[in-house]
Amino acid sequence: MEFLNLTLGQFLLTFGVIAAFSVALYLLDRTRKRMVVSTLRFWVTPGQPAPVSRNRKVNQPMSLLLQLLGMLLLLLAIAEFQFGGALNKRRDHVLVLDTSAWMGASIPGNAKTTLMDVVRANALGWLRAVPPTDRVLVVRADGLATPVTSWESDRRKVARAILEAQPGATALSLSQNLEFARELQRQSGAEAGEIVYSGPGRISAREANAMALPSIPAFRVLNVDDAVENSGIRSVGARRSESDPGTWDILVRVKNYGKTARLANVTMNFGKAPMGIHPLELPPGGEKETIFKVRTRAAGIIEARLYPKDAFEADNYAALELPEQRVLHVVVYTDSPEQMRPALASDPRVNAEFKPKSQYKPDNDGLLVLDRFHPATPPQGNVLWIDPPPDKPPVPIKMRVEKPEGLRWIPDQPLTEGLRARNAQIESASVFELGPTTTPVADVEKGAVLVARADGKNRMVVIGFNPFAGSMRYELTTPLLLGNILRWMEPGVFRDVDVATQSSGAVSAPFTGTTDRNSVQVLTDNGAVLPFNIRDRAVQFFAGEPARVRVIAGSSERVFSLTLPEMWDAKWTAPSTARKGIPAWNDSLRRTTILWPWLALLGVGLLLAEWIIYGNASSARLHVIRGGLGRAA
Amino acid sequence: MSKDPLLDRHFLERLERLTIHWQRSFPGLVGGHNRSSFAGGGQEFLDHRNYHQGDDLRAVNWRTYMRLDKMFLKMFQIEPRVPVRMLLDTSVSMSMPSEGKSITKFDYARKLAASLCYVGLVRLDTIEVLPFSDHLHESKTCGGGRQRFTPLSNFLEGLKPAGQSSFMPVAKQFLNDYPQRGLVIIISDFLDEGDCQKAIQYIGDYGNELMLLQLWADEDRTPPWTGEFDFVDAESNAKLHIHVDADARKKYTEAFDAFSASLRTLAVRNNGKYTGLPTSLSIEDAIFGAMVQTRSIA
Repeated sequence: MEFLNLTLGQFLLTFGVIAAFSVALYLLDRTRKRMVVSTLRFWVTPGQPAPVSRNRKVNQPMSLLLQLLGMLLLLLAIAEFQFGGALNKRRDHVLVLDTSAWMGASIPGNAKTTLMDVVRANALGWLRAVPPTDRVLVVRADGLATPVTSWESDRRKVARAILEAQPGATALSLSQNLEFARELQRQSGAEAGEIVYSGPGRISAREANAMALPSIPAFRVLNVDDAVENSGIRSVGARRSESDPGTWDILVRVKNYGKTARLANVTMNFGKAPMGIHPLELPPGGEKETIFKVRTRAAGIIEARLYPKDAFEADNYAALELPEQRVLHVVVYTDSPEQMRPALASDPRVNAEFKPKSQYKPDNDGLLVLDRFHPATPPQGNVLWIDPPPDKPPVPIKMRVEKPEGLRWIPDQPLTEGLRARNAQIESASVFELGPTTTPVADVEKGAVLVARADGKNRMVVIGFNPFAGSMRYELTTPLLLGNILRWMEPGVFRDVDVATQSSGAVSAPFTGTTDRNSVQVLTDNGAVLPFNIRDRAVQFFAGEPARVRVIAGSSERVFSLTLPEMWDAKWTAPSTARKGIPAWNDSLRRTTILWPWLALLGVGLLLAEWIIYGNASSARLHVIRGGLGRAA
Repeated sequence: MSKDPLLDRHFLERLERLTIHWQRSFPGLVGGHNRSSFAGGGQEFLDHRNYHQGDDLRAVNWRTYMRLDKMFLKMFQIEPRVPVRMLLDTSVSMSMPSEGKSITKFDYARKLAASLCYVGLVRLDTIEVLPFSDHLHESKTCGGGRQRFTPLSNFLEGLKPAGQSSFMPVAKQFLNDYPQRGLVIIISDFLDEGDCQKAIQYIGDYGNELMLLQLWADEDRTPPWTGEFDFVDAESNAKLHIHVDADARKKYTEAFDAFSASLRTLAVRNNGKYTGLPTSLSIEDAIFGAMVQTRSIA
């Protein structure tokens, strides 16, 4: 027995005040009234004494009793009196709707009905069984838990939220969603009701291996049968071929989620041109991959399709945007091109052109290499000076030293990355005077012999000796130094690009090298920065919806086309203690009896009866009622 | 702003068809429409009697004297002009307001008295209105046709309710002042502290014909109240503490009806007429309905 709107003390206080007021009014109404009449004699029966006043008693006690009882019932109705005590307390339920990508699959035998429709129908059925005083909060559950309503007792709002639920792009993270729902219940402050999960319970292998469901006192599962045969593309990756620089290796991984073996055909298109078709025998639950080779330097879209189509079409298609493969144009003005040709020809991303000094032009669309040559017209753009003449050098020369000792590469610079050789033999070298914008890269005992300068967009490296002459020509240091200089000059050309299409959700992108963590960026196509975390030399981020994400880490860039839905790996089985299915109408949740309308009706009825029986001119009303009853009879 | 007349013209025209009836004959002057069984100087022969000295010789039947040689006197039936006396109760009890109605018993009595006076005047009767409470007040006599109605109407309109009703001194005063017998109309609620019936019987015993018109308001007969009351008598200021419920109301009505029945019995026993009139009944219905039925007027 309880009062929903008032405490017992408030109820008793209110009723006491009302009852006292009513009794006072009653006594006031029933007090003797003075009336002047001309027929006093007829009130006294001849031969009998005059009637004695009964003002010391409560006249018409039934009238007072009916009034008090009627008002008591009305007050009980206002206080929403209920029988049953704690059983009828208002409860807060959380409805966890599975909106993972898998919910977009059609059910067997009905291509127009998806698993999402079944989930919504189950949820609405459960909602109808919830007592009207209880509140419900709806959570859309996929990779993230998203509450879509507040604590609502308005069933229309809850039903609208259920009907508006659509499949997302990520897989279900059940434990995270249930933990979130439990936390919501703890913070609601009301009696905890049920946490209801509506869905098939398809989860990732990662979650299945580390499943840790929270302790839920009242857990209900509205299971959905999802025996759907499906095979789909798991990922598509593109990488420059190591053997052929102009060719992309496209790796397509396909998985069969069904229980029967399937023969799937993977087709590949680049732009509008077909690139091939690969048949794959997929055993039940098996995963296979195939590689397509696409030869192109141009940018374009790679499309992978899986045939035949099945109940879940979202993972039968994947698209991948290949970036353009850029080439650095290098013009070398030298009289001995043979010394430098092997070093520059080793990298396919370098297009080297050797010209004599007499054909010098200051135009520069990539990199100019001036080998022991100082042109009359200063060069533009990026320039590599090799042993510039002492007259009008790009960097002031302090001195010229022969067979310098103690050649040292100054560490922690992009230009000296990987250079470890010490005391390399140099025939002669110019020692430069360092300016405020000049950075020493290598030095000897007398001073810096290799300097670099970055001036806005243009960059300049000045080597005070000829690394392609003498014993230095045969050192490993020389090509490494040249490679570092080229990469520093045009980092965009030499950046390692991996392109991959995979599913939305949590993405982990490993990176190599000694890249500074502060240089890592995770960007979307529109330039928005995604939050990320670096753990175990991998960049981890979450994309809740299909997007194209670039992960830039030092000299490497990975482009993720997160267009595939995140699929499940395992099916979760509900614990035996969980309630199953939609509760029946006579379930404990329905035991609450709404009493207040009946109490209000009875209270009004009693007051009406009191008015008819004991009110002014009550006899006339009773006469009318008796007449009406008689006619009705 | 002129006051509304007691009776409107249309109603007066309807009253001209009526006549006040009484059953007895009274000695009196010729006039009016009521025939008298007493001998007198009338036009129609009634009987013979022996001649006595001093009789009018013009009334001797000379033909009989010639044949029988004895003098007989012819007697003729006279047309008496017996005044109709109307006792109108003006005590305070007549002015008690009626719940939900603007007319009091006193107003009703004045209208009723005016109506009867007009009927009498049209028939050339002589009407004398005698207001009373515990004694007779100044009266008003009029006769000679409908053109004399206006002074009487003004007299009635000028009456004010006052005093306590007491029938016995009124009866004594009436019999003392008006020894001539005739029709006595009493318009009252007959709510007297004493025994009004004894006084009325006293008037009847003196040879007067009684026409009792009892007036009451609806709540006088069927009070609607319920609860605890301090009733105060309008005239005597007597008090009664009483709890009114359905049973008490029933007994009250029975007592009132018994009182009305006793008045009726009194009137009938004296060859008179009785009419009970609630104020809720319109004057038209009272005149043309209840009083015609009791043959008080026709």
